[in-house]
Amino acid sequence: MAEALATLEREKPAAKKTASKVAVTEHNDHEEAANDRTTFGFWVYLMTDLLMFSILFACYAVLHGNTLGAASGRELFSQPVALTETLLLLTSSFTAGIGMFRARQGNKNQALAWFGATFLLGLAFLGLEINEFTKFVHDGHTLRSNGFLSSFFVLVGTHGAHITSGLLWMGTTLAFVARRGLTPGLVRKLSLLSLFWHFLDIVWIFIFTIVYLQAQV
Amino acid sequence: MKREHGTIQSYITGFALSVVFTLIPYFLVVTQAVKGIVLFGTILAFALAQALIQVLFFLHLGRERKPKWQSGFLLATAGGIFVVTVGTFWIMYHLHENMMPTQAELKLAQDEGIAQVDGQKTGACVGASQMHMVVIKNGVASPSHTDAKRCDTIMFMNEDNTSRDIAFGPHSNHQEYGGVDDVPLSGGQSQTLTLNQSGTQSFHDHLHPEMTGDFTASP
Repeated sequence: MAEALATLEREKPAAKKTASKVAVTEHNDHEEAANDRTTFGFWVYLMTDLLMFSILFACYAVLHGNTLGAASGRELFSQPVALTETLLLLTSSFTAGIGMFRARQGNKNQALAWFGATFLLGLAFLGLEINEFTKFVHDGHTLRSNGFLSSFFVLVGTHGAHITSGLLWMGTTLAFVARRGLTPGLVRKLSLLSLFWHFLDIVWIFIFTIVYLQAQV
Repeated sequence: MKREHGTIQSYITGFALSVVFTLIPYFLVVTQAVKGIVLFGTILAFALAQALIQVLFFLHLGRERKPKWQSGFLLATAGGIFVVTVGTFWIMYHLHENMMPTQAELKLAQDEGIAQVDGQKTGACVGASQMHMVVIKNGVASPSHTDAKRCDTIMFMNEDNTSRDIAFGPHSNHQEYGGVDDVPLSGGQSQTLTLNQSGTQSFHDHLHPEMTGDFTASP
């Protein structure tokens, strides 16, 4: 048994080598198929994540009126700040798309510049959100105050946590791109990252509409 | 694979459309050009439209080769989201409607006998109690006065064809009796009221205020 395994181990690299020699032309097709599989796997994650957000949205829709007599969204939310956050995130989604386009062209500096802009815009968005949250908590509107604030902080905070992890992911990937160049593996990572970023922008459209704009209806 | 990726042009179009679809609902809300449910419907429609724009121009969905697993999975998720959000809202809205504070109080006051009157708990009515009848016929309540003990019950019987709404105190100035605001009676219906508050209380039909009566619950 052990001997058989050892033989297998020895044969593996050899088999790989011949295969790559014989099928050079098929190589791109294989990599494309692998890319498709990875993208689809990530897509499945995004869709289940979307389902989780929809449950948080449903909670907010049910609970947003339960303020226990405290301030409602109409008094708490600043519409100009919400619009600024929306435009920041929307622009960052756009720059991520352009960055991805440049990365596929193999233009490393352009890709780094556009994704760098995406990173900064995302950071500005996160800064505004953290500023808003700390202001609420400082004024005594906390997660524990009432049903409205619990569902608000959980919904918007979950989105903010996604943005934070996206920024960490983007920062490390860009550092690797800067050092190693646009290798196929890194381009694939960037493509998943831009999918993730567009997805977060789409979720934010609904936070902007159902949480912030709806408060003034 | 190539056709799955966007061009610079598609990103610019998607971005411009998204900005427009963000600003229109924003100014509709800030200026309050329309109001209420129309406004909410409009901004929600703009959000859905913008999401579709970004799915098409940023995520480039629908350009993948067959079988279109991504589009299929997105549609299945959309179905799940529809069931979760609309279902939750529908169920919780009705639960909320049916458990309004006034109705919850009425249930406590009548079934559990623990209403609060002027901040004092009236206490649960348990044990033997007598039932009195007040029959309302041709717009007249008989007997017009009922003597009872606290925790007895009065059954109001509406023998007329019209709806009635038994309210307490004078018509001009409604009172609350033992946590109960009113006793609605459709034509031919009867309802039982637990006398969980001592004292004399007048009542009238809010829909036909000329019908009046009173009862006394001795401690």
